[in-house]
Amino acid sequence: MSRVHDLIYNTFFKRNSAFVATCFVGAFAFQISFDLGTTAWWDYHNRGKQWKDLRAKYIQAGDSAEE
Amino acid sequence: MAASIARVNLLPTSRTLASGVPLAPRINNAIPTGLAGGDHGHHGSAARSDVPAAWTFKSTARGHVGRTNALPTSSSYQQRFLSTTPTRSASHPMAATTGTHRTSATGVPDFTPYKAKNAGLNRTVSYFMVGGLGVLGASGIKSTVSDILSNMAASADVLALAKIEVEMGAIPEGKNLIVKWRGKPVFIRHRTSDEIDEANAVDVKSLRDPENDADRTQRPEWLVMLGVCTHLGCVPIGEAGDYGGWFCPCHGSHYDISGRIRRGPAPLNLEIPEYTFNDDEEKIVVG
Repeated sequence: MSRVHDLIYNTFFKRNSAFVATCFVGAFAFQISFDLGTTAWWDYHNRGKQWKDLRAKYIQAGDSAEE
Repeated sequence: MAASIARVNLLPTSRTLASGVPLAPRINNAIPTGLAGGDHGHHGSAARSDVPAAWTFKSTARGHVGRTNALPTSSSYQQRFLSTTPTRSASHPMAATTGTHRTSATGVPDFTPYKAKNAGLNRTVSYFMVGGLGVLGASGIKSTVSDILSNMAASADVLALAKIEVEMGAIPEGKNLIVKWRGKPVFIRHRTSDEIDEANAVDVKSLRDPENDADRTQRPEWLVMLGVCTHLGCVPIGEAGDYGGWFCPCHGSHYDISGRIRRGPAPLNLEIPEYTFNDDEEKIVVG
């Protein structure tokens, strides 16, 4: 167990450059994952109400009438 | 002589109890709790076999305090008591009930239960907390900066007005077209070959703002200029002036057929905007 912690410490925490770089990379990853996650939740919460869900209905109906 | 050296430092028994046990007052034969032996490596924590049973004596000491009564042999003596037992029972939370050592008589608590079980885990968690704060802070700063920058960026309606397209077929040869581009007028002239020759015939060195006609046009027959006088920003009139080009009515600047300043207060030639030709659709794209 302490081997794992030593490995983590030596990889990420020992050098400040690695620590800061890890923080910045982690910030990017966190933002992307956070955006994806919240968007997925929002779509799930509003499923069946958004235009992308309803589009198929109206495009089919309007296709022959308009064009 | 030997008799005079002898010391009697315990009270003799004064009487015999009803149980037949001699009574020795002020002598505590009980083993203090915690010092009873078995906890430090010996097998079994049973009471010591050489200790007299509890019923054999009457203790005047209370609880966990053991006292050793040392009496001088002189006739006038004072009792002296030495405390040999820590005043803390084994059930005290500071006492290590399962450890190898009991708290010492000096009263220093045993901190063994509070020591970190895994120092590596503690270190990892500490650094992870610091790093997690850094991650959250960095993403917050990034969001703020990108929001500010996107707020300053041009919006879609502005970008839609940034370019205009003019059909080349709509301008016959020898005619001007004035279009509005980014709030300013743009002159587009379809020049005849005579006008091109006239523009090229001018001695460039004699001009106030010397520029070749070839440097001012991408294609000689199409002249695209900003319709803003370089003097004070009026809009010149096309096909007017002494040089057959443009004339600014505000202060009388004369521009020739290439849009170069020839006479009047204006210091510079008419400005050339960025433009490209879209030959597929026969259009001039300004912007």
